Amino acid sequence: MTFFRSRLAAAWLVAAGATLAAPATMAQDLELSIIAPAGAGGGWDSAARALQEVMMSTGNARSVQVINVPGAGGTVGLAQFVQGAASSPNQMLVGGITMVGAIITNKAPYDLTAVTPIARLTGDPLVIVVPASSPYQTMADLMEGIKSDVERTIWAGGSAGGADHMLSALVTQAAGQDPAKVNYVAYSGGGEALAAMLGGQVTAGISGYGEWQGQIESGDLRALAISYPEPIEGIEAQPLKAQGIDIELVNWRGIFAGPDLAEADKAALEQAIAQTVQSPEWKELLAARGWSDYYAPSDEFTAFIASESERVKSILTSIGLAE
Amino acid sequence: MSTPTAKGLHKPTLVIGIALFALAFITWRDASAMQIRATYGMGADAASYFVALFLAVMGAGHLVAAFRWQDDPGPTDWKAVGWVALGLASLIAALWFGAGFIAGSTLLFVFTARAFGRRAWLADLALGFVLSLGIFLLFNKLLTLSLPMGPLERLF
Amino acid sequence: MESLAFLMQGFGTALDPMNLAFAAIGVLLGTAVGVLPGIGPALTVALLLPITFKLDPGGSLIMFAGIYYGGMYGGSTTAILLNTPGESASVVTALEGNQMARRGRGGPALATAAIGSFVATLIATAGLAFFAPMLVKVAIQFGPWDYFGLMLIAFVTVSATFGSSPLRGLTSLGLGLWLGLVGIDQLTGQTRLAFGVPNLLDGIEVTTLAVGLFALGEALHVASRHLFSDEKPIAIKGSVWMSREDWKRSWKPWLRGTAIGFPIGALPAGGAEIPTFLSYTTERKLAAKPEEFGQGAIEGVAGPESANNASAAGTLVPLLTLGLPTSATAAVMLAGFQQYNLQPGPLLFVQHPDLVWGLVASLFIANVMLLILNLPLVGLWVRLLKIPLPWLYAGILVFACMGTIAANPSVVELMMLVAFGVLGFLMRRYDYPIAPVVVGLILGPMADSALRRSLQMSLGDPMILLQHPGSAIMIAIAAIALVAPFAFKGLARFRQDED
Repeated sequence: MTFFRSRLAAAWLVAAGATLAAPATMAQDLELSIIAPAGAGGGWDSAARALQEVMMSTGNARSVQVINVPGAGGTVGLAQFVQGAASSPNQMLVGGITMVGAIITNKAPYDLTAVTPIARLTGDPLVIVVPASSPYQTMADLMEGIKSDVERTIWAGGSAGGADHMLSALVTQAAGQDPAKVNYVAYSGGGEALAAMLGGQVTAGISGYGEWQGQIESGDLRALAISYPEPIEGIEAQPLKAQGIDIELVNWRGIFAGPDLAEADKAALEQAIAQTVQSPEWKELLAARGWSDYYAPSDEFTAFIASESERVKSILTSIGLAE
Repeated sequence: MSTPTAKGLHKPTLVIGIALFALAFITWRDASAMQIRATYGMGADAASYFVALFLAVMGAGHLVAAFRWQDDPGPTDWKAVGWVALGLASLIAALWFGAGFIAGSTLLFVFTARAFGRRAWLADLALGFVLSLGIFLLFNKLLTLSLPMGPLERLF
Repeated sequence: MESLAFLMQGFGTALDPMNLAFAAIGVLLGTAVGVLPGIGPALTVALLLPITFKLDPGGSLIMFAGIYYGGMYGGSTTAILLNTPGESASVVTALEGNQMARRGRGGPALATAAIGSFVATLIATAGLAFFAPMLVKVAIQFGPWDYFGLMLIAFVTVSATFGSSPLRGLTSLGLGLWLGLVGIDQLTGQTRLAFGVPNLLDGIEVTTLAVGLFALGEALHVASRHLFSDEKPIAIKGSVWMSREDWKRSWKPWLRGTAIGFPIGALPAGGAEIPTFLSYTTERKLAAKPEEFGQGAIEGVAGPESANNASAAGTLVPLLTLGLPTSATAAVMLAGFQQYNLQPGPLLFVQHPDLVWGLVASLFIANVMLLILNLPLVGLWVRLLKIPLPWLYAGILVFACMGTIAANPSVVELMMLVAFGVLGFLMRRYDYPIAPVVVGLILGPMADSALRRSLQMSLGDPMILLQHPGSAIMIAIAAIALVAPFAFKGLARFRQDED
């Protein structure tokens, strides 16, 4: 039991140190709590915990606590954050493109203009695959198939209205078909969709590259294209753009602070995050998790969210999930 | 345990039957207001209509059953139920108003013990507090899982 | 027999004294946390996972195996003793297990659960070691139509939990189906019955419903009755151990439970609940004394508990071979693998055979340890029931509420828990069975998605359900199972009339 006693003692020491310390103004004195608006094990949860790990190990924050507030594509966590974190210098929220979509489809009470974007962190490519037994060898073959029979081109991917669904609509549109006609079968996640792909029940599938990497490398699935704007080292499949299809869709994640944040506090958080993402520890972690660096500072991120919201809304409208 | 009542209208069964109809109606209304249609196959409303129909049939069954012989639940100690309910309400209130997990759980413990006939308030208060404190320390410190914080919890 | 050589090598690693100690700690911690009411295996593993990160990959994986199996086992203890299943797969165990505990036979109930878990896990882990790659090829051929057929069978078998009145049983089931509608529909994004409450958009959490109906409902019910009833739970009557008859009645259900649990657990969307329902019904049908069901039949604990544990080992098949987590627990385990840059999937067996076989060997060892640790504990657990009633129920309520808030720190979730508690109380008061509500909540959405996915793939043609042999056979079985009892009853009545 000494293991626990020492951990407990360490926790006491941290707590005692915290009460003695002056209010947090310096980055390395930050005591943060990060809300992951999803349950344990999901993408936002792992992003929040990754940030926790690196911010503490690089000394950019004294303590970081991750709180899970799951629900409705992150909109439950967002609403709680908007109400509870106003002008707070030590609370942050993780979010991403799925949240942008969920805000629109769920008609959520708050959108991302209610919070203060601090930085865009990661952006992962989506991959379009077909089963190894599929007659489609290239992206052009798949586009041809969609063009000739949009109904029987069955897609598998994550839940309705998510990034996977959006990409299937964009591809269908690029093939000259009505995106409202896309036959998209939603599964609870990349896993179940994977089983449908391997069982040959669907024509094509979409998921985060990392999730299906094993099957792509073993040859059970054939990757036709990725949705990233540029080629990525270590991924054989080429971007849609490089294959003459003008589509890009990145599954980005970013970090936000509460509404009405004082300029000095905002600067402190921006600095802490900027130093964290430039650290070798962060780069190592990205490589280990198979995440791609997609860092953008606050101003650029704010503008990006505005344009991304517009784009997501128009895609969802074309599918019939928003008006 | 239960005593059969005389032949006649069995009120609880009747009320449950009406409640089932109400539930069926709400479900049907909800289904008919759905806007997103499935492009292929069945939409999300199909299951709602099915459940609404199912509940309505059950409701009708209850209306028929209400006129048959029915067992009545035995005597009920409503005071005890009230104490437990008060305990649960205290926990909800403690979290709602930010009094924290320990305070709420202690009250839940004390009131539930009272429901089962205990009157040693102080002893139960102490026991409930120690239990709640133990759980809190176990979770927040050892397992780093955040139970709701209040003024008391911030001391640790 | 290349696998056997690898397995021996795995045992070599796992039997190192230090690693044995890690396994023992894992089993102990897993059981200790898993035994808390309202905390199921998924949460147990999630809570204890960070501890394993502090060790080297080998040791951590071994401790991890201990935690996983320990958490699985701990869940059944509270279901049996306190009627508070910590997860949906223990709901069926609670049905007969708690009845046994009330009659002073908690010891044999816990023992048959422990030994059944051991037997099931032993066989299923062996199945995992030798047949995983083969099984998974069959499993991925399972289309949505096949899942729909499986759901239909499960639905029909639920009637075994209905109790005395079909009307009340069906009403309970309907209530569960209704609760299953709540939330965003996964296939279309359409919201059903959420009434603008954001916390309802993700649907009703099965654990919240189960803990509310069982633990809180039970506490309210007992509170309302204890003044008038002499029926106090009896801690121990007769031996704490299983009698010769208990053994005789248990061994077949253990094996049957395993045979049902492992293959269904290995399906990418099979889950752990359906095998427990199927096993319960099977045992009831085959029991020498079916009238004992509902009054504490040991077969009703031995079968479902074995099925539950066999399916837990089954879920490791798609997890290790496809990287496909099919349960919340498996999803957390996946996160554990990724911590060491291991991506479960088709290449895992090829790239890291040492780790995979080390894990499999650890699972065997954890299983043995679990039995050694838990059989002596049975006597101790049973004494829990000797705690005076006021403190026992006060403690149950505190732990049940804590489990819910710990998993989701929201007042709304707690209110839902309390509302389900009141519902559970009223249902007990008016003699409605509880289990069908949980069954409806679990099966309803699964059946809905499976049927609609089938129809989406066939562009709306219902014949697709009959065109695939697998689904056609399962639908036929369900139909026969539904009609047969009525036919037999009619036949029996007909014969009686003739006499």
